[in-house]
Amino acid sequence: MTSDRKMAQTTLEQRPAGGHRVSQWALAWRRLKKNKVAIAGLGIVGIFIVMAAFDRLVALYPPKCILGVSPACQLDGRLHSNSPPGLAYPLGTDITGYDVYSEIVYGTRAAFLIGVGATGLTMLIAVVIGLAAGYFGGWMDNLLMRLTEVFLVIPFFLLLLVFLQVTIKLAPANTGSIWLVVFVIGAFSWPGAARIIRGEVLRVREFEFIAASRQIGASSYRILFRHLFPNVLHIIIVLATLQIAASILTEAAVSFLGFGAPGSNTWGQQMYNSANYVEQAWWGTLFPAVFVTLMVMGFNLLGNGLRDALDPRLRE
Amino acid sequence: MTLTPETVLEVKELTKHFPVYERGVILRRKLGDVHAVDEVSFGIRKNETFGLVGESGCGKTTIAKCVLYLEPPTSGKIFFNGKNITEIFKEGKKDLVLALRRQMQYIFQNPYSSLDPRMTVADIIMEPLEVHKHIPRSQWQNRMYELLRMVGLEDYHAERYPHEFSGGQRQRVCIARALAVDPQFIAADEPVASLDVSVRAQILNLLQELQQKLGITYLYISHDLSTVRHICHRVAVMYLGKIVEIAETDELFENPLHPYTVALLSAIPVPDPRKKTHRIILPGEVPSPVNPPPACRFHPRCPRRIDICSKVEPPLLEVRPGHWLACHNPWPSKRLAS
Amino acid sequence: MPWILGSGSSEVSALPDPLLHVQNLRTYFFTYAGIVKAVDDISLDVSKGETLGVVGESGSGKTVTAQSILRIVPSPGKIVDGTIEFEGKSLMKLREKDMQRIRGKDIAYVPQDPTSTLDPVYRVGEQLSEVIMRHHVISRKDALAKATDLLRSVEIPDPEIRISQYPHELSGGTKQRIAIARALAGDPVLIIADEPTTALDVTIQAQILDLLKELKNRLNVAMILITHDMGIVADVCDRVTVLYAGQVCESGTVEQVFEKPKHPYTQALLTSVPNLALRKEKLSVIPGNVPNLIEPPSGCRFNPRCPYAQQICIDKVPELEPIGEGRSVHCHRWKELDLKSPVAS
Repeated sequence: MTSDRKMAQTTLEQRPAGGHRVSQWALAWRRLKKNKVAIAGLGIVGIFIVMAAFDRLVALYPPKCILGVSPACQLDGRLHSNSPPGLAYPLGTDITGYDVYSEIVYGTRAAFLIGVGATGLTMLIAVVIGLAAGYFGGWMDNLLMRLTEVFLVIPFFLLLLVFLQVTIKLAPANTGSIWLVVFVIGAFSWPGAARIIRGEVLRVREFEFIAASRQIGASSYRILFRHLFPNVLHIIIVLATLQIAASILTEAAVSFLGFGAPGSNTWGQQMYNSANYVEQAWWGTLFPAVFVTLMVMGFNLLGNGLRDALDPRLRE
Repeated sequence: MTLTPETVLEVKELTKHFPVYERGVILRRKLGDVHAVDEVSFGIRKNETFGLVGESGCGKTTIAKCVLYLEPPTSGKIFFNGKNITEIFKEGKKDLVLALRRQMQYIFQNPYSSLDPRMTVADIIMEPLEVHKHIPRSQWQNRMYELLRMVGLEDYHAERYPHEFSGGQRQRVCIARALAVDPQFIAADEPVASLDVSVRAQILNLLQELQQKLGITYLYISHDLSTVRHICHRVAVMYLGKIVEIAETDELFENPLHPYTVALLSAIPVPDPRKKTHRIILPGEVPSPVNPPPACRFHPRCPRRIDICSKVEPPLLEVRPGHWLACHNPWPSKRLAS
Repeated sequence: MPWILGSGSSEVSALPDPLLHVQNLRTYFFTYAGIVKAVDDISLDVSKGETLGVVGESGSGKTVTAQSILRIVPSPGKIVDGTIEFEGKSLMKLREKDMQRIRGKDIAYVPQDPTSTLDPVYRVGEQLSEVIMRHHVISRKDALAKATDLLRSVEIPDPEIRISQYPHELSGGTKQRIAIARALAGDPVLIIADEPTTALDVTIQAQILDLLKELKNRLNVAMILITHDMGIVADVCDRVTVLYAGQVCESGTVEQVFEKPKHPYTQALLTSVPNLALRKEKLSVIPGNVPNLIEPPSGCRFNPRCPYAQQICIDKVPELEPIGEGRSVHCHRWKELDLKSPVAS
């Protein structure tokens, strides 16, 4: 209903004289704070950030420490392989004798690396393509969008597996590199985001403030970066948050299937290593999966909350 | 219109067609043209408010956009201070274009969408200064506050964002932005249509004050004849992409000659219960501008239609000094009768 | 004036048998920013066959009043207080199911935007006959025939063709005529038309206003016409209620209110709007802006913009006072003020 929306809007109009400015971002933050679910998501992500930053403090043992064998974790001097959760190892140990909990903690950094790294690449490609297609239109739009559609119809996951397999075969030296996985995920995940950003640019481009700016004599560069980009930034933030979750999930799946980077310590890799012993030691597979789920859920809740908080349709 | 020394803007046979395409993936087939504006000519004198009146789809906004080259015209010439500005815009020499943009400004209809929601009012008003750099950077801030006060806002408003303002205040910000470059000419496209009735008068008065103070020439576009009567010196009435009548405001309102003008005037509800005006109700609706009626475009709805109206297009002729008309069978003039 | 159509008496507060009686209505919106008091103590009456104009700007509560009468206030809005009586029955106490029977049948609603009121996937005939069949026991074929008659009664040319068209094939004016036809389908005794011509061009507006006047005389149906245009009120309405910021400023017959406004806001509305008939050098201005309805001004809500405001106007909310001849005014100082109307001069 327009009239009550208009009224809600008048609420902010008559602030006391001299009151300090309230930017759209400040308003979005206020809205976000009222959304309990989003704050829960933010909390989960925050806990994971702390975990990644202070992993040595949060973990019980040093990384790659074989319980009962390595000098740093002697315990009773007996190899603790596939031991069920107990006092010394709350989430059990895996086949090698690593403490599952500590290894999960050390895997957090890798999860962020994958999520943020792949998303950075994805959003870079998506923003460039989305802005260019939406702003310049015409043949440029036609070309870029057809390209995007080609990428969209390719079965992304299969392609990813094939690509990883081929690179592992062709360049065995790279196989240990988690960056390759990050690059491949990032390079194939952008089409959806590019289309959404283009759509938003098309919408914002029609607003009169763009025409007003052009009419003043502003250059294309100025219109793109001073007006269009800040006005689609909220969509980019939401897409990026959700993309982080999607990238982590993809890496976990790829690794679990055995196509990941073998030398890396990711949750997916941990699940893969324990998968053969799931009958004797289910904890080695289950708990990394639980943490993947928790982190993905955290980012998804935050992303959905951000979407509600930043949605311009709620503004006017 | 004849070019007198004081003519600031002259539009000659301006035409703007928008092609209509069939939807297609790569190749699109052209289906026809929307005849938004067809061979329209008029001139605006210095210090004058020239009204362009008509119903939605008559092409009045398109004319303003062509004048400021927000839309490139299909054909025709536009002279500003004697210079052919469509040529200058088309060639696109940056310094010449910027010089023109400084002299001609536009005020948009909707103050809710014509301000960037992510910028403060200060940034919005200083943007033209940043683009044109016609005054030194050290003076930008002072100039911005000066403009704010000029349009009746307070200094503390500078730090606010557009969403914190009411419609009328936003329109003031838009006016301040337009004034930032000291323009000679402003095209105002329905500047009060989206405002509350009780604040319309404030904005209309502001526009008039600024004209007296700064000597600005306005092209005032509106569908609302009562505001046009209030603010304009001369008025052109448009119907379906054509100008049908041009006259001084008082002359047009007191002695309308084109049947469409007469009907338009009679259609406005007057806030006086004792005046039960005799309405001329036009039958039907405005035809599609893709296939406008031949000859006189108004003839299918015209109460004074005669045979020739559907065969020959009436030219725009000066029927009385300063009163131009395109009609074969005009409304009986009250002046001539009395 | 045809205002006599309704009843002989002109006592607003004591209309012998008002068709619709709204008293002390309050409808609030519970938003995250606070409670928006969109309608805060509005009273109005409509008698049979009468056209009441409800005038106000955006945020005056005119649309919410209409929605409250029909009990279709959108969330997060709620009717908090007041009585709404229609033909002597209280609509507030009615169950939703009974309310549905009244909506569209006894009280019909013509919304502002003709485009969004018609469902784009059904033909015009189907949409109209659906309404007819809901309110009458009638076969589909007869309903379609009645729909054609309805289109004819709202002066749509070639109703036989229009009936099988989809809304997107029609112009704005025709769509608004169809919306009116649909409102007439249940043979209503009261039509609430919310800014029915705002989205239309002037010449089309003239057609629709003419149609409304003609229908009112032919069918003797009562009407609430919501608008912001004093010209439309003067042209179409018998009586008028002026709203400001969710409250009534004054009510009376159109002649009374236009010739001798008693509330400063009414006068300001009449003098600040450019008037075709009178050209002035400078328009008189209502200073300031429409108030915030979460924390409205204390006392009389118009006081920050009122040239006649005194301390009492800030301290005390005025009563809606009946002042005889069926008029009522919501102003502390109406007795002392001698307000000039541009109409009277």
